[in-house]
Amino acid sequence: MAEKESKAFVLGGLNVGGWYVGDWRTQKPIIDYGKCVKCWICENFCPEIAITKSENGPQIDLRFCKGCGICANECPVKAIEMVEEFRR
Amino acid sequence: MSYYDVMTGNKAIACGVKLARVKVIPIYPITPQTSISEYLAEFIANGELDAEYVHTEGEHSAMAVAIGASISGSRVFTSTSSQGLAYMHECVAQAPGFRAPIVMAVANRRVGSIWSLGSDYTDVMPETNLGWIVYFVESNQEALDTLIQLYRIAEDSRVLLPSMLNMDGFYLSFSYERVNVPDQETVDNFLPEYRPKYAVNPLISKVYPNVFPPPPEGLTAYSRMYEELFEQAKKVIYEIENEFYNVFGRKYGGLVECYQLDDAEYALITVGSMSTAAKRAVDRLRLEGFKAGLLRIRVYRPLPLNKLRKYLDNVKCIGIVDRSVNHGTNRGPIFCDTKATLYGGSEKKIYNFISGLGGEDISIEDFLNMFKILAKEDTSCEVYYFEHPIPKQDKRITPSEIPDGEKRLIFSGGEGCPGCTIPILMRYTLETLGQNVVFSFPPHCAGISFSCGVLNVPYYIANFAAGAAYATGTYRTYKIKKVADKIISAVWAGDGGTYDIGFQSLSAAAERNESILFICYDNEAYMNTGVQRSGATPYGAYTTTTPVGKIWKGKGERRKDMPLIMSMHRIPYIATGAPSHTNDVKVKIGKAKDTVLNQRGLAYLHLLKPCPTGWFFETSKSIEVSRLAVLTGMWPLYEIEYGKLRVTYKPSKLKPVKDYLSIQGRYKHLTDKEIDMIQNDVNKYWNMLLELEKLEKLPWYL
Repeated sequence: MAEKESKAFVLGGLNVGGWYVGDWRTQKPIIDYGKCVKCWICENFCPEIAITKSENGPQIDLRFCKGCGICANECPVKAIEMVEEFRR
Repeated sequence: MSYYDVMTGNKAIACGVKLARVKVIPIYPITPQTSISEYLAEFIANGELDAEYVHTEGEHSAMAVAIGASISGSRVFTSTSSQGLAYMHECVAQAPGFRAPIVMAVANRRVGSIWSLGSDYTDVMPETNLGWIVYFVESNQEALDTLIQLYRIAEDSRVLLPSMLNMDGFYLSFSYERVNVPDQETVDNFLPEYRPKYAVNPLISKVYPNVFPPPPEGLTAYSRMYEELFEQAKKVIYEIENEFYNVFGRKYGGLVECYQLDDAEYALITVGSMSTAAKRAVDRLRLEGFKAGLLRIRVYRPLPLNKLRKYLDNVKCIGIVDRSVNHGTNRGPIFCDTKATLYGGSEKKIYNFISGLGGEDISIEDFLNMFKILAKEDTSCEVYYFEHPIPKQDKRITPSEIPDGEKRLIFSGGEGCPGCTIPILMRYTLETLGQNVVFSFPPHCAGISFSCGVLNVPYYIANFAAGAAYATGTYRTYKIKKVADKIISAVWAGDGGTYDIGFQSLSAAAERNESILFICYDNEAYMNTGVQRSGATPYGAYTTTTPVGKIWKGKGERRKDMPLIMSMHRIPYIATGAPSHTNDVKVKIGKAKDTVLNQRGLAYLHLLKPCPTGWFFETSKSIEVSRLAVLTGMWPLYEIEYGKLRVTYKPSKLKPVKDYLSIQGRYKHLTDKEIDMIQNDVNKYWNMLLELEKLEKLPWYL
């Protein structure tokens, strides 16, 4: 019988990927693009790396946003507002 | 008056410790034992328990403090689990030699190669043969009652041995049950104050423990004498359990508990909390007329040889359920012991069922199936693994599903708390270091929040005390393979893995000047286990092991000054940073990268990590708190480059520390006087840094 290579877990058991942590959220950031000055401070400080740059302004990936509110707190022109979010 | 309460196993243990009037409690938090340490701290903080609480820097020291306190005449309690028990192994082995009647609670959790938080007995099994009395309990009530009895048994002059109380992590430690807590007076009568005959105390005794090894000829005799102690212990255990029954009205059967065993033909042997499910399986089978029975081993050391032979004499088939494997023998340890015990008696078939490793549940169905296998009386196979299929991973978001996902070194979707600044710091780090970096992760929050796979660089979980040592190993390999100028061996450690348990390996790596990058993210307490005090916790801060009560008002000591301690190792680069000051941190990480890749030596980065969960502020204020820490001087930003100290950010005028303290719940109990004291400290420290900055080189860099 040919010896088979063991499948026991050694190293690198996981591939890169993230969980849908967006459903932890109780508050949702809403961006007022009229006020936004594209300083990208929100993008820099987002702990979830859920904010990406775009021509129109920051885009928030709500699949990852945990609703911590750092972006709204740090925004120098107060263009981001946290609103209560209700989900069924 | 005794009273009923609904409590976890950990609280039952803590209540038992309080009732036993323990005098010294050296303890180190580890899941799932943590809340024992928290409840005990709370009792002491509120003046309910008069005891010395020692916040040790690791389990090894916890057991060493316990031995020291015990031989000098105190009643001692400590507790741990899993990796912690393995880390204290050396001192655990020492305790019986000192005849130190320590009682240790172990909340069983898997130890070793495949990390798990779940409960099994792989942690305690290597410790059972060292000369400790080893108990396994089934319920929270039994945990409390046994703890009180154990002090009587351990401190009895016929025994005088340390003892270990095992309760299943999570199954008991965090499960709520109805528990009767006896009243203090009755317990005091049952368990009087510990008065050792031979305490190490020059004021009262001229008899001291012999710390010198006897000549080798004596050791076999000494070892045999310990077996005599265990024989005597068996008698003492019954004696004290009967006495306990007479006073408190509860008993558990001494060394073993028999359930429906009198006329049983098929019996299981179990330990710990799984026995409850096994008993229900026995009940069901009895209703069907199947003669099932169960024997629960309560005391595993001394092993109840005679009881096992006596009670299992009439049983045809025995199945032994093991929650651990002696790897290489394909058998469980309890099976090995029990089968050896029963060998040579009346003929019977003995099977081993291995199940429930790493916290997998052993259900009633599983026990029913075990009895089915027993009923077959098949002689071809002796060991059965009750496996559950390896679960498929839940669906995750892969890099291809988000814009620029493939290029990212850190991915979204980690499991950290909302508002946690670790991913921000990690992102700064990876953006500067690039992808050729290997991270050693001693256990910390990020190890949990990143472990689902959000880092696109290699990382591995190192042992808690050995983060820098693991990285040294990888660095030396890259060095000899001549790629150390391309790959960075980095350690990403929390403050526990840096200040406390990890200090030894860090200090040694710094002294050898290994070219590794050590990053300490400092959240000023053990946040991963639930906010316990560490060497980094600042003066006055509330943590769960330095609570605010009638007597304690938060942490009473100042923190260690880690960057300056590291500078005493004369390493080439040291810097502090904060997430709010992005460019400052990135420049420093860049300098550290150069230092390491040019193999000039160890670079140490000390990054502030405001923690909304442990510091009690709103999640949205993480960056604001970080900024305030810098602006008030609580967290000065400076670097030490080859001995030259430079303050990298100088506010024109420091803000009052009150601005920083008042925003956080952990400081809310501070009085004006204490705030003034902290302000004074900060001013002095800031001035000291400015003075040091004037020097061409810190004098100790020679």
